[in-house]
Amino acid sequence: MATAQKYSYNVEQKGLQGTDKPRRFLAAFSAILRHGNYNVALDTFSRLSAKCARCAAACQIYQATGADEDIPCHRSELLLRVYRRYFTQSGILRAKLFGGFTLTEQCIDEMAEHFYRCTACRRCKATCPVGIDHALITHLARWVLAEIDIIPRALLVSVREQLEGSTGNTSAIPVPALKDTCEFLEEELQDIYNVDIKFPFDVEGAEYVFFPAVSDFLMEADTLMGNAAVMHVTGGSWTIGTGNYDGINYGLFYSDRMMERIVKNVIAETRRLEGRKILIGECGHATRSAWYVPTFGGPDAPPVVNCMEYAYEQLKAGRIPLKDEKILERVTYHDPCNIARSGRIVEQPREILKAICADFVEMWPNRTDNYCCGGGGGTVSIDEIRKYRTGPLGKRKADQLRDTGAQLIVSPCANCKKQLKELCQDNELDMEVVGLHDLLLRVIDFGVPAREPAAQGVAAG
Amino acid sequence: MMDAWLRWAMGPLFWTALIFMILGLLRHLALTLWEGAMAYRRAGDKDIPVGKLLGTTLRWMVPLGRLGNRWLFSITTLLFHVGVILVPLFLSGHIELWRRGLGLSWPAIPNWLATALTWAVIVTALAVVVQRVAAKDSRALSRFQDYALPLFIAVPFLSGFLVMHPAWNPFSRDPTLLVHVMSANVLMFMVPLTKLSHMILLPFTQFVSELAWHFPPDAGSRVAVTLGKEEEAI
Repeated sequence: MATAQKYSYNVEQKGLQGTDKPRRFLAAFSAILRHGNYNVALDTFSRLSAKCARCAAACQIYQATGADEDIPCHRSELLLRVYRRYFTQSGILRAKLFGGFTLTEQCIDEMAEHFYRCTACRRCKATCPVGIDHALITHLARWVLAEIDIIPRALLVSVREQLEGSTGNTSAIPVPALKDTCEFLEEELQDIYNVDIKFPFDVEGAEYVFFPAVSDFLMEADTLMGNAAVMHVTGGSWTIGTGNYDGINYGLFYSDRMMERIVKNVIAETRRLEGRKILIGECGHATRSAWYVPTFGGPDAPPVVNCMEYAYEQLKAGRIPLKDEKILERVTYHDPCNIARSGRIVEQPREILKAICADFVEMWPNRTDNYCCGGGGGTVSIDEIRKYRTGPLGKRKADQLRDTGAQLIVSPCANCKKQLKELCQDNELDMEVVGLHDLLLRVIDFGVPAREPAAQGVAAG
Repeated sequence: MMDAWLRWAMGPLFWTALIFMILGLLRHLALTLWEGAMAYRRAGDKDIPVGKLLGTTLRWMVPLGRLGNRWLFSITTLLFHVGVILVPLFLSGHIELWRRGLGLSWPAIPNWLATALTWAVIVTALAVVVQRVAAKDSRALSRFQDYALPLFIAVPFLSGFLVMHPAWNPFSRDPTLLVHVMSANVLMFMVPLTKLSHMILLPFTQFVSELAWHFPPDAGSRVAVTLGKEEEAI
């Protein structure tokens, strides 16, 4: 389908057509308010926004651009003013008496532009004295925009393939290609580590059904080999389902309606295989989306475990045998916003890294106060904004990385990995971006001598 | 004449303003609690991290450790709030009026502290406005009420100080007292209608933000039906 460049990102032609966008926007907004849970937040935020600008200092975009429209509170107001004017009694009355704000196509274009400049990283939330969650507003605004077909094409085509395509996944990998890839990875593990590790398919009744970011099968071989190696040495019962093997959920970035369908598919595949738990690979947004399994799957929905949580528990229990040698390169850790901001997965990866690295350094700030990689909220998939992502949006992260002097950046998220790799390229940072399981793979003691010195940089710790 | 104005301002108008403020705030509270309860009832995942949210709420209610990235502005506003809360409620003169009127009384703060806090409010109100204008980001966000409210809040404090300290007062007592009472009355009318309503809503904002992320399980499907998109291809 044809695309057009009206915004910084491409949208499909239907997103640009029609002269009644304001009417359609309000109809969509109304439907979402009626069926969603956003009213109470919008009412509260509208009533007490203090406009103190503390959020400005927390926002990496504003830090880089200094542009008024990049202040989180300023951006949220773009949607809140629509809410106040059309969906509150006082707003409707005020408009009747005094006129004032009217939603126009120009306002919609403004929202379309600015709600995709924000990565919805939620860093500003922690600095707001009245607790306004600007990322929630970004999240909601994007959904309303999506219902009038304003969606970055990169996100849309991925979801279309995942929900309606023949492969059922965002990278359009058919099952035979998936199996070929896994066979290749098994051979690699055999050739390099001299160990027979399997990627099990469609094992019914397995404890864990594995959903990595499907792009890992194309781009992150070491991460997947690390995942398989951890399951192997710990004797974990796991499987990949050929009905659905994609943890990616771009619904989180632009539409709760799509998110609901994608999460339900993950649950359905787990139930088809009679799996007991959902194991998510190294991916921040896939993990956060999967945390919505109880929302969409009901009270008997399978529990969700991130692979780092699994590895940490196993390491703590002494079930991951490690070589005496440690990773020698200086290693730093990037907290993916979607798992770290809420504080849910913060210390587990650090504990693992401290156990396996000789020189682990923190970047600053970190943990729940981390900066986004610059590719959050789905922006990393939008190639046409790469200059913006690795420029102003990623500047703060580039500075942070440079300050660590690290050689390896551990980033347990497929999206952050892609963004950080591009960030390093475009900012001339001589650093390698790896997954946590890539490093674990190098230091696991399989009990047999490796055939190739793959674990370079490993020496007695 | 002045006497009559004062009696009206301190009598019927004061009670009207006070009741308007209380009812207005109660309306906000009731609406927020009701909407929050509805959101909770509809949420698919009812696991709300209450302890964590309570902690965050309390830390923001007493934000001493949270001066953060704008420490001067934060200290200014913190001091402003301390004065605005303590002086009207705990000034011995005010408590005396409550005692005479309704027979209610409670411990007062010493007058020297009230005077110090009154000046703190006046100075920080001006400082808030100056800082709002001076900082590019807050200037970009500020509405008329953001400038007007701190200045207007300073009026009853300044006039109150002058009433309490006649030696400093270039005007006669009664007009000053009238300004004091009238500005306080107007403020009370404004509380539920402006961002000042945060005085009742602040303890709930963290919960409200969290609740909004707890989606109803079928919200997406229902939106599709409402918009006639059930069969529409992506």
